[in-house]
Amino acid sequence: MTARAAHKSIRVGDDGEAWIEAYRCDACGAVVGEPTLACRNCAIRAAPSAFRVAERGMLYSWTVVSRSYPGVVVPFVSAIVDLDDGPTMKGTLRDVDPDTLASGMPVAVRFDDAGGAVDKEGAAFVGFHFVPAGETL
Amino acid sequence: MSEVYVIGAGMIPFGRYPDQTPAQLGAQALLLALDDCGLAVPDVEAIYCGSTFNAASMIAQQVLKQIGQTGIQCINVSNACASGATAFREAYVAARSGLYDVVVAMGAEKNPKGMLQGVGASDGPNPESLFGSVSLPALFAEAGMEHAAKYGTSIEQFARVAVKNHHHSTMNPKAMYRRETPLDEVLASEMIAYPLTKLMCSANVDGAAACVLVSERKARELGLDRAVRVAGSALMSDPFQPRNPMLIDGNSVTRLAAAKAYEMAGIGPKDLDVVELHDCFATAEVLHYENLGLCGDGEGGAMIDSGETALGGAIPVNVSGGLLSKGHPIGATGVANIVEIIEHLRGEAGARQVDRARIGLAHVLGFGVGIGAACGVHILEKA
Repeated sequence: MTARAAHKSIRVGDDGEAWIEAYRCDACGAVVGEPTLACRNCAIRAAPSAFRVAERGMLYSWTVVSRSYPGVVVPFVSAIVDLDDGPTMKGTLRDVDPDTLASGMPVAVRFDDAGGAVDKEGAAFVGFHFVPAGETL
Repeated sequence: MSEVYVIGAGMIPFGRYPDQTPAQLGAQALLLALDDCGLAVPDVEAIYCGSTFNAASMIAQQVLKQIGQTGIQCINVSNACASGATAFREAYVAARSGLYDVVVAMGAEKNPKGMLQGVGASDGPNPESLFGSVSLPALFAEAGMEHAAKYGTSIEQFARVAVKNHHHSTMNPKAMYRRETPLDEVLASEMIAYPLTKLMCSANVDGAAACVLVSERKARELGLDRAVRVAGSALMSDPFQPRNPMLIDGNSVTRLAAAKAYEMAGIGPKDLDVVELHDCFATAEVLHYENLGLCGDGEGGAMIDSGETALGGAIPVNVSGGLLSKGHPIGATGVANIVEIIEHLRGEAGARQVDRARIGLAHVLGFGVGIGAACGVHILEKA
């Protein structure tokens, strides 16, 4: 059974490989995170083209969530990341000391099992999170 | 086209009303507004009612079932936190068009309890904490941290917004909190999403507010003594920004709406005497100082530090206590902010009266998380 995407931007290939998809306008270059009928930026009547997104980028903004909805385990870092080839994604940034967070810090995408969730038929989910990325990556 | 005046304004005290329906709250506010200008239910030709959580239940019709089913046009408006401002905007357009002489803009809301949910359930695992946070405090914390990263704004500066607005609400008998909260108390209250502590998040309450808008002809017939002219009105949606909607963008839409409203009124931010802006979270107020042009970009932190935006300062902001302390009954907030401005322009704001207020601005910002934004800006002038 192929794992299912736990996030609308994740795609899962037949071989189980996961990637993040975004859409770029062929006319103006604007990037959006979901398919649209026309370009959100320039309104040209052509659907932006899907592309596979780079799996590293820079932290743009964040917060440390100390209280969330009932049952949600806190604290965690909610991060807004500008990926290298255009799209901005929100995700959880793990394996980091919150005191060291800074705008511009390099981060990488890591795919995960979405907290071990499974659907009604027993299929697993694929999620992602961010981790700090050293200059060596 | 007709000029438009507000001649009646009213709101009920904000708080919890477990035994009343949203329509009952709205009906009380509407009667207050009618009594304020000496009109009666049969004088009203159309109602525009904002209610984020109850618009789909024909709340305006339910209001009329409480106070008189006159068969008039009822428009029910849901536009997130901008629902009330949207209702006011539409009432303004109706009166300005000349089709109507007397219209009501109102908002009524009973908020769900607890932390308001930004998105509906999906069929996958709960995205909260797997993919960051979609809680509203987290979103406005992230917007505040963007400002902090760009300009060095500190948690103390954001916290001073809460200190100021909670102080203001001690002078507003209709506000929820009405309690001083010194800086150390704001900083020490429960951390929700850095830099926002609990006292830096808006008060979750029920409430209702209403305004009676009339054409110029009707205003002259009834007398302009306590009338307030709608000098500028704008309602805009979020324009494209590359990070939107991953990072909420209340900045672009507010700047669009403010520019339009200032241009229409033929004034600039320096001409304002009093401002009610959408302080749903303390971070937002600092951003909106800049978005509304009250100070330059990057100067919002210094502006709160200076005391200029406190009562007695050069440009008092959220003298009502704001959403932080007066309370934020979502769909009613946009109308309540306008009611507050009207009270100041009439010189009827009691202990919190802004001295010699002639021109005021009311700003409201609504978000559907991950979906879109709406911003209403209204500029009001003493007739």
